[in-house]
Amino acid sequence: MSGFFGPLDSEGRVPPNQQTRVAAFLISAHGALARQFAFTLPLKLDTAWQTELNAQFYREAEIVSLLMRATAWVPDLALGYMVVSWETAWLPAPIEGIADRSLAGAIHLATLAHAVHAGIRPAALLPVNAKADDPFVMALRRIEFESGRLLQGQILFLKGPELMPLRDAVSAALEKRHAGVRKLWREALESVGITFTNDAER
Amino acid sequence: MPFLDHGSYRIRYELEGPAGAPTYVLVNGLTQYAELWAAYRDALVARHFRVATFDLLGQGGSDKPALFINQDDQVTALRLLIDELGDGPVFLSGISFGGLIALRYAIAHGKRLSGLVPMSCFAELSPQLLLIGNALRTGLILGGTGYLQDLLLPMNLSDQWLTPLLDKLDSVKRQGWLVNDVYALQNLMESFLDFQPLTPQLSSISVPTMILNGEFDFLTPRPLHETLRVEIPDSALVIIPKAYHAFTLERGALTADLLARFAENVLAGHWQGNKAVWIAPEDPGGELTPFPAGYDHLRAIPVQRVSA
Repeated sequence: MSGFFGPLDSEGRVPPNQQTRVAAFLISAHGALARQFAFTLPLKLDTAWQTELNAQFYREAEIVSLLMRATAWVPDLALGYMVVSWETAWLPAPIEGIADRSLAGAIHLATLAHAVHAGIRPAALLPVNAKADDPFVMALRRIEFESGRLLQGQILFLKGPELMPLRDAVSAALEKRHAGVRKLWREALESVGITFTNDAER
Repeated sequence: MPFLDHGSYRIRYELEGPAGAPTYVLVNGLTQYAELWAAYRDALVARHFRVATFDLLGQGGSDKPALFINQDDQVTALRLLIDELGDGPVFLSGISFGGLIALRYAIAHGKRLSGLVPMSCFAELSPQLLLIGNALRTGLILGGTGYLQDLLLPMNLSDQWLTPLLDKLDSVKRQGWLVNDVYALQNLMESFLDFQPLTPQLSSISVPTMILNGEFDFLTPRPLHETLRVEIPDSALVIIPKAYHAFTLERGALTADLLARFAENVLAGHWQGNKAVWIAPEDPGGELTPFPAGYDHLRAIPVQRVSA
C-alpha cells in the first residue's frame, strides 16, 4: 500500500507544502538519530564496530543537511505541535524483558534506526512523472537508498549473536517501534493530503 | 481485501471463482506479489477452477515481520489459507521460493492436497544456487531492490520477452519495487540461513506431482528438478521449451493451460506420474511429448543416457 505526492506542478515538482511537511518529519527523525549516534560515539574508537557508529552519525547528519537545502520550504503553522510529538516519540522507552540499562539503550537506538531506515520510504511517494532532476526528488531517492545501506548496521546488531538469547524481547521492541514510526509517518503524510490506497500502481 | 491472521501478523489473500469448484492455490516467488497471478486467475476460473492467491509474510500487502521470517511461518500461513477453502479438491502450485514453500506444505500436510505443481523449484541448495543466492542478497544490501531486480530480470527472462521492454524496464520494475521493502526481502532471503535440504522428506509426498522446469532455467537448472522427480513417487517432470526461471511471467497462457490439464487429469483419474519426463508444447492446448527415449534430459546436447 502506498500513497503519492501530488498533484505535481506542470514541471513535475512536488507541492511545497508537502515538501515542507515531509522534510520536517524526515529531519526530525534522522536528526534525532544523528544526535543519539553522536552521544554514543566516543572521541577515540576502542573497537572495530564503532567505526559503524561514526558512519551512521555522518550519514544521518548528511541527510539532515541535504533536506535543509533541497526542500522548497513554505511557512507551516501546524509544524510546531507536530514536531513536539515527533521528538517525544524518538526518546528512549523502557524495553520489556531487558533489564540491563546499557544494553536497553543500545537496543533502543538500533530499533529506532531500523524503524526509520526500513519503514520510511520517501522515494516511494514519488509518482512516475516526478521531475527526475529536481533537488527534492533526488534528495528523497538518495535518502531511501542510503537508508537501505544504513539499515545493515542495525540488522547485524539486532540479529547478532549477542542478542540471540533476547530474540523475542528484541523482536517485540522492534515491531513496536516500527508500528509507532509508521503511524507517525502516515499521519504526517495524510495531513498534507497524501492518502494511502490499496492500489499502489500509478 | 480479505486478510488471514497468523499471530500478530496479517496475510492478504484473494479468492476468485465458484465456491464449490476445485481450487488452485498459487504461491509467489521471492520478489513477487499476488497480482502477478491475475492472468492465471482469469484462465483457471474460465476452466471452472477457484483460484486462491496471497502475499507471503514479508511480501506486498501482507505484514512484513521486521527482523525474522521463518519458513515454517510461511507454511502456517499457507495452511491457514487452505483451511479457508473448505473440503473440496485443492491443487497447490508455487514458483521458485513459493515452490519450496509448497513442497514444505506437501510434506507436512500432503493429505489435504489433490495435486502439487512445483515450478522452477528446488529442495536443496546446490553450491551454485547457494552462491548465487548469497550474491543476490549482497546485491540487495548494496544496491537495494532495484539492483536485485536488475540482476534477476536478465537471469530469469528470455531475450524475446526483454527486447520490447528494454526502453521501459523502469516501469516493469516499478510495482515490484513499490510493494517490496529491502528489509523484508532480506528477511525472506535470510530465512535460508538455517535451511536444511528437503530431499530426504520428498518421498513422503504421495500426491500426484507435476514438476515444471524451463528449458533454459539458469537459477534453478534441471538437476535441482531432477531431485524432485527422482524422490517424489507419483511425479512427472515437464520441461517448458525455450523458457527461463520466470516462465510463469512470460509463458502465462501455456503454464495456466498445463496447470488446468494436470488438475483435470488428476480429477478424472487419468494421471500417471511414473517419474516420466515430458516436453511441454510451445503453445497452450498442444500435445506434450515424451522426452526422446535413450537421451539424457539433464544434458543440453543430445547425449545418450548412460544406463545405470
